Amino acid sequence: MSVAIGAAIAVFTGIGAGLGIGIATGKATEAIARQPEAASQIRSNLLLGCALAEATAIYGFVIGLVVIFVG
Amino acid sequence: MSNIQETMMSGMKNQTAFTIPVLGGIPISEAVLTSWILMVLIMGLVFLLTRKLKPDQPGRVQAFLEMSVGALNHFAQDSIGPRWRAFAPWLGTVAVYIAAANLSGLLGLVPPTKDVSVTAGLALTSVCLIYGSSFRFLGLRGGLRKFAEPMPLLIPINVMEIAIRPLSLCMRLFGNVLGSFVIMELIKALVPVGVPVVFSLYFDIFDGLIQTIVFVFLTALFTGETIQEE
Repeated sequence: MSVAIGAAIAVFTGIGAGLGIGIATGKATEAIARQPEAASQIRSNLLLGCALAEATAIYGFVIGLVVIFVG
Repeated sequence: MSNIQETMMSGMKNQTAFTIPVLGGIPISEAVLTSWILMVLIMGLVFLLTRKLKPDQPGRVQAFLEMSVGALNHFAQDSIGPRWRAFAPWLGTVAVYIAAANLSGLLGLVPPTKDVSVTAGLALTSVCLIYGSSFRFLGLRGGLRKFAEPMPLLIPINVMEIAIRPLSLCMRLFGNVLGSFVIMELIKALVPVGVPVVFSLYFDIFDGLIQTIVFVFLTALFTGETIQEE
């Protein structure tokens, strides 16, 4: 039971990643709407930022798995 | 329900494929076996595609190859700067390996990047490249001075980054591939027919390629940053 709760708390990191990716995508959409000719550059930066923001969620996920299967 | 749990448990573990019966038995894990298969496939493809290259009248294959190499060089030039030439081949090699490893799930193989040892190895080579090139191009003094930038107060953080950068590179790739693997196993256990194909498009192809790009991009970015002179 406590293991499951611990894993659930670890997966809470997903909140931050979701917010971050949402904000980044919103800003990127705004930027593309303003400057459609820079779309490809904005898109590559967005991709990188999303991957970095997503990493926190992945860390939480890995820790959740470690809590369940190793601990 | 316990069935699902058992599949998950067996999917999480790194199985030993077979054991070489010398020196008391050398265990070969599935990741290594899949890597060998991928190596053979990639090498075969390389020999096949580069067999009849002509400088004056490029065929369709050659035009595609030249375009890919050109794109890689352009990318390296953009992110590393004037000293990109030495790094482009390495970046391309790693990109091809990680992409093949992430996509190997489509062939029914176990992706090698699901094993944390593989991604840790890749991240270690990356960090050796990042700091090695810093000392190679800036000299010992210049490389050490890089740690005191932008101001000496940040030295502890810059030193910590030596460990954090490979850790985050390693965990990002490993977590993504393992996560998509686990989710795919769950979907396959719930709905065996049809639905997994749609999700596999996202989790296997899109996510795998994105992670390839991110790994190579971050390595190039860090390298470019550490070899930059004022």
